[in-house]
Amino acid sequence: MTDFGFSISKSATIDMDAVDMELYERVCRQVPSARICMSCGSCSASCVAAPYSGMSVRKVILALQRGKDVRTMLSNCMLCGKCSMACPRGVNTRNLILTVCRNL
Amino acid sequence: MIDRIPSGFHPFVIPFLLGMAFVLGYCAFGLFRIIKQLSWKERRKLAVSLITPETVVKNIRDIFCDCLFHVKLWKRNKLLGYMHSSIAFGWFMLIVLGHLEVILFVPKRINLFYYPIFFNYFVAEDEITLRGSLLFFLMDFFLLVVLSGIVLAMIKRVSSRLFGMRRTARPSFLNLVGLYALWAIFPLRLLAESFTAHISGGSFLTIPANWVFRQFLGNELNMLPTWWAYSIALGVFMCVLPFTRYMHIPAEMLLIPMRNAGLKMVDARKGFTRVQVLSCPNCGVCVDACPMSANRANLKDCTVYLTRQVRRGNERRIEQISDKCLMCGKCKEVCQVGVDGAQLRLMQRARRQYGFSPDFSNLPQSQIISSSSQKNEKVLYFGGCMTQLTPAIGKSVESILRKSGVDYEWMDREGGICCGRPLYTAGRTREAEQLVQKNQEIIKNSGAKVLLVSCPICYKMFLEHYDLNDIRVVHYVPFMLDFIASGKIQLIQSEVSYVFHDPCELGRGCGMYDEPRQLLKRVAQIREAEKNREMSVCCGGSLGSLSLDFAQREKITRASLDNLCGSGADAIATACPLCKTTFSRYSDRPVRDLAEIVDELIIDN
Amino acid sequence: MKQNVVIIGGGIAGMEAANQLQLLGYNPIIVEQESALGGHVAQWHKLFPDMSVARDVVGRMSKSIASTNVFLDTRVVSVKSSRSHYTLSLSNGVDVTTRVVLIATGFGLFDARKKEEYGYGVYDRVITNGDLEQWMNGCADSRIPESPRSLGFVHCVGSRDLKAGNNQCSKVCCMTAVKQAIEMKELFPDSELYCFYMDLRLFGKKYEDFYINAQRDFGVHFVRGRVSEVGEDIDGRLCVKAEDTLLGKPLKIHLDLLVLMAGMVCHPQTSKVAEMLRLDVGNDGFFKSRDNLANIQESNQDGVFYAGACTGAKTIPETLAEARAVALRIHSYFNNL
Repeated sequence: MTDFGFSISKSATIDMDAVDMELYERVCRQVPSARICMSCGSCSASCVAAPYSGMSVRKVILALQRGKDVRTMLSNCMLCGKCSMACPRGVNTRNLILTVCRNL
Repeated sequence: MIDRIPSGFHPFVIPFLLGMAFVLGYCAFGLFRIIKQLSWKERRKLAVSLITPETVVKNIRDIFCDCLFHVKLWKRNKLLGYMHSSIAFGWFMLIVLGHLEVILFVPKRINLFYYPIFFNYFVAEDEITLRGSLLFFLMDFFLLVVLSGIVLAMIKRVSSRLFGMRRTARPSFLNLVGLYALWAIFPLRLLAESFTAHISGGSFLTIPANWVFRQFLGNELNMLPTWWAYSIALGVFMCVLPFTRYMHIPAEMLLIPMRNAGLKMVDARKGFTRVQVLSCPNCGVCVDACPMSANRANLKDCTVYLTRQVRRGNERRIEQISDKCLMCGKCKEVCQVGVDGAQLRLMQRARRQYGFSPDFSNLPQSQIISSSSQKNEKVLYFGGCMTQLTPAIGKSVESILRKSGVDYEWMDREGGICCGRPLYTAGRTREAEQLVQKNQEIIKNSGAKVLLVSCPICYKMFLEHYDLNDIRVVHYVPFMLDFIASGKIQLIQSEVSYVFHDPCELGRGCGMYDEPRQLLKRVAQIREAEKNREMSVCCGGSLGSLSLDFAQREKITRASLDNLCGSGADAIATACPLCKTTFSRYSDRPVRDLAEIVDELIIDN
Repeated sequence: MKQNVVIIGGGIAGMEAANQLQLLGYNPIIVEQESALGGHVAQWHKLFPDMSVARDVVGRMSKSIASTNVFLDTRVVSVKSSRSHYTLSLSNGVDVTTRVVLIATGFGLFDARKKEEYGYGVYDRVITNGDLEQWMNGCADSRIPESPRSLGFVHCVGSRDLKAGNNQCSKVCCMTAVKQAIEMKELFPDSELYCFYMDLRLFGKKYEDFYINAQRDFGVHFVRGRVSEVGEDIDGRLCVKAEDTLLGKPLKIHLDLLVLMAGMVCHPQTSKVAEMLRLDVGNDGFFKSRDNLANIQESNQDGVFYAGACTGAKTIPETLAEARAVALRIHSYFNNL
């Protein structure tokens, strides 16, 4: 390919028209409480893995809704259950994580 | 006693023979398959145990106690115990005595398989002897015993509440066929033997019955049909046996030697697991015991339904049941056969396919800098993840350690690596193993001699899955008892009364029931809940359950609290951060960890 | 003869309603379980949005009802209801017969010990919004350090929290936190202040001005993330963990003082009062109004009315407006008898 001396950066816009919500919907069917997250951040704040892999159940739920990849975040989850204890809405975070891992 | 039928055969024995042949063939094939599924190591273990005199004796004793006398059931419920043992032992004795009769009176027929069963049809009584009368008496006696058991079983079928069971498992269609066939066998036997009693002789049951029947029924006419019916009932029962809960009868006889040989469940379906599944007698004791059944919820998610679904191969339900369980271990505790429901589910969870698995190789390895060893042995305190959210527990443990002058270090004060138990109970055993390796290294490098744990979830994991060389793993309860015994701490007695909740992982999980009570007695008044120790009811917060949602857990917690509050204690004591948090949400009285209670009552020097 | 109206609760709702009822020609009787009138407001220091002194507000109100019958340190022990009358037996031995009972029992402050992860009652440097108001009113509090360098305010403690048993927003905590942060910054100009919020719900008149002031003039740091756990250093400083949800990164900070914005929950006596008068209680624990739009002050019982925070979290202006409205409602009730 000819090098023109410049490159075009990809758009960082989340194109909601093109987002594939299939995985999110499938996860929600199995873990209905995934829908009631209010993004307070309690889960990530208490997360043991968050400092290492950026794990955050809040972000996982959001990323699924925006069609972003969640593998890196999940890679250090120890399933310890602190997030499910800390969640003020009673989201079943552990089952959510397991379900996402099964469907990836 | 002489042979009445010269050929020693009558076509009515054919249904029985067919049934018997089928069930024996099925069991032999099943046994062969199960043995084949065992690993070479397991097979050797089993073989060795079968030739070791101690285990042989133990096997025989266990088979008699568990299968025939139902000793464990007697201890739990006398009526149920009688019902089961009367049928099992009575039937067993009928078979034994039948053989004895053949050996004594018609020894040449001993090679005929059906003779002991249908003895009374094939013989005629030529003279009355004492020996014969005694045997006939015993036969009638044990038939009566069995019949009494059958009557109880019928009553139980109509009203299980009379037997102290609130809920039982609903039988499937084939189970009902087997059940009715079983019920029919013994009344039919009574009829058959009664109709023949004037020829073959009988005793206190059959002779009067024979006399009564003769008054208005032609005995000769009814004799053969009843023997046919008896044989058909036996045949039907044996033909459906492999597909009903009655499979537990042969399965348990295999389960006992396998368990005594030290076999463990290693596969979700095969080998020893298969034997456990088949051994479930579907009695339904686990339905009432299961904490999830509070408020009549999740009734079909207890172990009896799991074994049923495994036998049916209903994968969707197996997964549902396995994911929902709190893994509290109570069903195993109440199970007469010892089916390990939690382990069954664990194996099932481990079977699940994952498209993505965590990898912990990037986690930092050594966070603890081994401090120079002082003259005291160094204690490493591991609070665990949950303790981060219940700071009162960690703070109290630390305070007690300080007050007793122990040289300690808090391994995960700023947060650490999970012990691995949550991953392990979720069935992700390989991933849990990675965490074990990480923690193991940190602990070994710390130079500590004692690993002190306050969370029973971690404690169980450290005990069962960690290899820490000579580092002693202790739960703080016995550790504090030592402090008290050696006078390192002195305590005031408080007037507050506590009821102690046995956390699942500490009680049923690690068998620690007495120590927490000893500790509590040292500082406060102690009350007992109705269901305590082995029968303790899970708080509902367990990490064991994957799919139970928050609202369902609330019902479980409230039911468990009702059990505790029934004791009338002022406050609830426990020794688990998860139990504490869970109870605190709904409790009308304070919920405290033993460490907090003790720390508050130490006399400051 | 003047008609009796028994008012259960002598907080601002009860006092304001008593004042209005008196003006309308009734004989209000206040039954208050504490030894002073004013309820929660009497414990507080300054009230937003005008920074009025709470004591003055309560003082003015109690002066206006100086001639009203008030039973302090008194509870309702039992209620007998006939077709048109209620007879209330009080703990001081008095029996009162009335056609109308006004419930103005108010709310309870969430017991912050229930959120053990925040360390209230465990750590020395954790207090609640109520504690801080009392300290500002001059009550000594050893938990508040001489010169704190950094202070944190945790919003939504026991509000919007299913696990704490209260799903609802308590309405006033966001504003209270901003107000208290400004007050603390004025007291300790060298300190840094952090507000940990889930959503800033600054809905009332002039509330947004406080927010802007706090940002611009007082440099209060707003962190969007709910605090999940609080640890303690060996030297007693608090280590607070939250997530900066806007950046999506876990965050930790060392603080000298943490103030928990304990929310409004139902008054602990609610179920008892409800039982005596056979009133409906909602699943949030508060009294259940006939509806939540046009009949907030109506109960399911004839002649029993509500005013103020006994039916849910309310601000002071809302409570006072309700108290005045209920007086008129009672007036029309009597006229229609």
